[in-house]
Amino acid sequence: MDLPSDRDPTASLRVVVDLNRCQGYAQCCYAAPGSFALRGHEILFYDPAPPAAHRGEIERAVQACPVRAISLQAVTADRVDTQ
Amino acid sequence: MAEDTLFAEVLDQANRSDPYPIYARLRANPVSRQRDGSFVVSTHAAIRSLIFDPRLSSEDLPPSHRPRTGNPLKDWLLNPIKDRIATAHRPLIFRDPPDHDTLRGFVMREFSVPRVRALHEPVGREVDRLIDACLGRDQVCLVEDLSYPLPVAVICDLLGVPETDEPQFQAWATQLATALEPDARHDEASRHKTVAAFDAISAYMRNLIRQKRRNPGADMISGLAASGPQGKPVMSDFDLISTAILLLVAGHETTVNLITNGMLTLLRHPEELERLRADPERAPRVIEEVLRYEPPVHFRTRKALGTITVAGQTIPKGAPVILLFASGNRDPARFADPDRFDPDREDNQHFGFGGGLHYCVGAPLARIEAEIALVALCRRLVRPRLMADPPPYRTGASLRGPERLGIHIDGIV
Repeated sequence: MDLPSDRDPTASLRVVVDLNRCQGYAQCCYAAPGSFALRGHEILFYDPAPPAAHRGEIERAVQACPVRAISLQAVTADRVDTQ
Repeated sequence: MAEDTLFAEVLDQANRSDPYPIYARLRANPVSRQRDGSFVVSTHAAIRSLIFDPRLSSEDLPPSHRPRTGNPLKDWLLNPIKDRIATAHRPLIFRDPPDHDTLRGFVMREFSVPRVRALHEPVGREVDRLIDACLGRDQVCLVEDLSYPLPVAVICDLLGVPETDEPQFQAWATQLATALEPDARHDEASRHKTVAAFDAISAYMRNLIRQKRRNPGADMISGLAASGPQGKPVMSDFDLISTAILLLVAGHETTVNLITNGMLTLLRHPEELERLRADPERAPRVIEEVLRYEPPVHFRTRKALGTITVAGQTIPKGAPVILLFASGNRDPARFADPDRFDPDREDNQHFGFGGGLHYCVGAPLARIEAEIALVALCRRLVRPRLMADPPPYRTGASLRGPERLGIHIDGIV
């Protein structure tokens, strides 16, 4: 998985994970492997600005999270829309 | 604390098609002591506070290990499956940390993201093949035509169990799944059948594992059975056999309910069926709402390792504790309008796959199968209507789902 250092500069999505809620259930890693990965057993890595093409997968990850720790926002030129 | 008998009503087959009003009455006392000494936990908040509590054990289940005949060997054979498992073959669902975590680690390594993701295509093909087989008919029997054979084919393929062997363990898997039902152990004949099924499936798995060690494939059992660094097997044979049986039984007895409950719910809410047909992207929301509204597994039993106080009630050490997940899912204190099926609800933090350390290992797999199946059914069945509502239910109160689901159709596209 590509991490923020080499993320797509034209990204139009913003992903926020509440790491206080995250319990490492790893459901996001199955739903959107391009944007989420667990390292070790419990450290979640995710791409906070994924490419727009990942949107469908990330929405699945949002739905699949057992503790609803993930939020997805669409970023446009002048505003951020919370999903 | 007052005792109540509401959980006996939950177990009563007469209430199988709609246990939710009983759950609502149970929630009046978030933790209620039943006459048999068990404690039923029924609110979302109380369940959530207990699922990570290390004082709740999965290792020993309700008090059932009583001498019966005076002959130790015979007693052992007559013991309920859970006690027998405790002596030799406990799978991770009946284990606590640290053993549980070690075993789960082995399984998760095999349940890798690429392996699970790669299933989309074969699952799609199998769903279409099963629906094609109904072409020309004016009704489908969802359980036998799709909900049962699909997960079975998928789990056999994943584990590396030859499809030709599959028919022989359908009956074993169904019988073993009764070990999760609290009332099954009271029935001597059922226990004998369970022990026999367990022995038969163990012998089968032992043989299969031997073959996989000699001749490994790309499947999960070959992966689990592979040798470690110094040629040393990483899992004991007992653990390997119990893990393989657990995955096989889970693959036979749970996803079937998710698919069937999902289609039943959509047929009862035709506007939602239409919306899913028109917009398959809604599927993840629909599946999550089915997992809340009509989950495949309604409760799991634990044991209190110490005195636990929760929601103002004290559970004494040693007491069986029933986490009634399906009731937490309908708790009005957590979900607005909880008895309404609403895929658009936000913050749907349900217990459809349980929670905590024992959260369903197969959840990502179940989601893929249910999504592909429900989308295909909505797309391909023309004017589907329920033949009977409620449908007849299987006997399980925990693993709860219809035995058959007849659907009238005007055709298949």
